[in-house]
Amino acid sequence: MRFALIQAAAPVRVTALAVLVVGLEWSRVLALRAPGLLGLQGLTLLAGGAALCLLAAGRRPEELGLGRSHLGGRLLGGVALAAVLLLPAAARWGGGAGLAPALGVAAVAVSVGEEVAFRGVLFAALEEAYGPAAAVLGSTAAWTLAHVLSHPASFLPAVTAAGLLLGAWRWAARDLVGPIVGHTLADVAL
Amino acid sequence: MWRRAALLSLAATAYVAAAWAVTPGFYDGIAPPQPYRWVSPPPQFKSSNQQPLSGRGSARVASNGSVDPGSIFTQDGQAAVSFVPGAFVTPADRSPVTIDVKPVAEFPDPDGTHLATNVYCVTSSSPMAPGKDVLVTLQFSDQLPAPSDIYEYQGDGPWQKIGSTGSAAPFYIAARATSLGCFAGGYSANAKQSAQGAQLGGGQALPIIVALAILVVVLAGIPLAVMRRRAAAAAREDESEP
Repeated sequence: MRFALIQAAAPVRVTALAVLVVGLEWSRVLALRAPGLLGLQGLTLLAGGAALCLLAAGRRPEELGLGRSHLGGRLLGGVALAAVLLLPAAARWGGGAGLAPALGVAAVAVSVGEEVAFRGVLFAALEEAYGPAAAVLGSTAAWTLAHVLSHPASFLPAVTAAGLLLGAWRWAARDLVGPIVGHTLADVAL
Repeated sequence: MWRRAALLSLAATAYVAAAWAVTPGFYDGIAPPQPYRWVSPPPQFKSSNQQPLSGRGSARVASNGSVDPGSIFTQDGQAAVSFVPGAFVTPADRSPVTIDVKPVAEFPDPDGTHLATNVYCVTSSSPMAPGKDVLVTLQFSDQLPAPSDIYEYQGDGPWQKIGSTGSAAPFYIAARATSLGCFAGGYSANAKQSAQGAQLGGGQALPIIVALAILVVVLAGIPLAVMRRRAAAAAREDESEP
C-alpha cells in the first residue's frame, strides 16, 4: 500500500521538481534581460546559481553523487569532461575576450548550481522513480528546455548532446563531481 | 563496466559531432544576448533603444618593465579590447596605461561597406608597442544580418577591413588590430549575410588549455589506474587466504 502511494506520487513529485528547476533557470535568464537589472548581471547569476543549489537541501551528498570516495579519479574525470566539452571550440579557436572577471565568478556559481539541480537532484529523483535511463534522458530533456531562452535554436542540439554526455557520466561513474568540474572549467574557459 | 564505458564514449562522440555543427561549440549562455544598444538605431529599434556605454580601464606596469595583459570592456559588454603583455609601450614614469573604448556617432563614410554594429573608438595613454597587436571583440545584434569582418579607420579614414578571427560566443565577432583606432563590424554592401556569422579561426589559449587538460588526465590517470589495480589485487589475495 505504502509502495503504491509512493509510486503514485512519483510523477507529480518529479514533474514538480522539473518545473521548478526549469522555472529557476528561465527566471534567471529573464531577470538578466530586465532593464532594471542590467548593471547587476553578476549578482543575478550568483542568485540564480544559489537558488539551484538550494534544491539539494535535505539530500545526502551520496544520493547526489557527491561522496568523497575516489575523489582524485572524480576530479580527473571532470578535467577529461572539460577537455571533451571544449574540444570543438579549441580546434577552431581564434581568440576572444572571454568573460569579464565578475561574470567569471558568477559563471562558476551557475555551473555548480546547474549540475546540482539537473544531474544531482533531478537525476536522483528520476532514477529513484523510473530508473537510470529515465534519469539520463529526463534530466537532459529538462536541461535542454532550460536553455531554450538563452540559446539560439541552432545551439540546442549541442546543448542536448552536452546534457547527455554529463548525464551519462553521472550514471556510469555514479558521480557528480566530474560534471561539476567539467562544466565549470568549460564555462570559465569560454 | 565495458557497457558503461561504451555508452559514455558514444555520448562523447555524439556531443563532439553536435557541437562541431555550430560555433563555438560549447556555449552556456551565461549572459544571454541583451537587446543591442545602438548609437543610431535602425527604425525598428528606435522605440526601445538604449544608448550604448563606454568603457575605461588601465593596465599596470609589471616589475619586469612590461605593461600587464588585460581586457577592457565597455560597461554594457558590447565592445572589448584584449591585449598580451607588453602590447603597449611602457610609460617613462611607469604609470599605468589607461585604455578607453567609446561608441561614436560621427565617422567617415564606409563606402561600399554596410556597418552592422556601432563604431567604437579605442584610445590609450601610451602607444602600442611595435610588432604587437590587440584583439578587438564586438557584439552585434541578433536581430539583423551578422557582420563578416571588422573594419577599422584612423584619423579621417578611410575604412580598412582587418578581417575576423571569429569569437567565443554567438553574436560576437573579433579581429586582431596592429594599431588603435575606430572599429565596427560590417560586410560588403553587395554581400548576402545570414543572421549568425560567428566563425572561429587560428588558435592560442583555449587549445593550450584543452591540451593541458588531456595531458593531466593521461599523466594522473596512469598512476590512479595502477593504484586501483594494486588495491584490487591485494583485496583478491586477502580473500583467497584461508
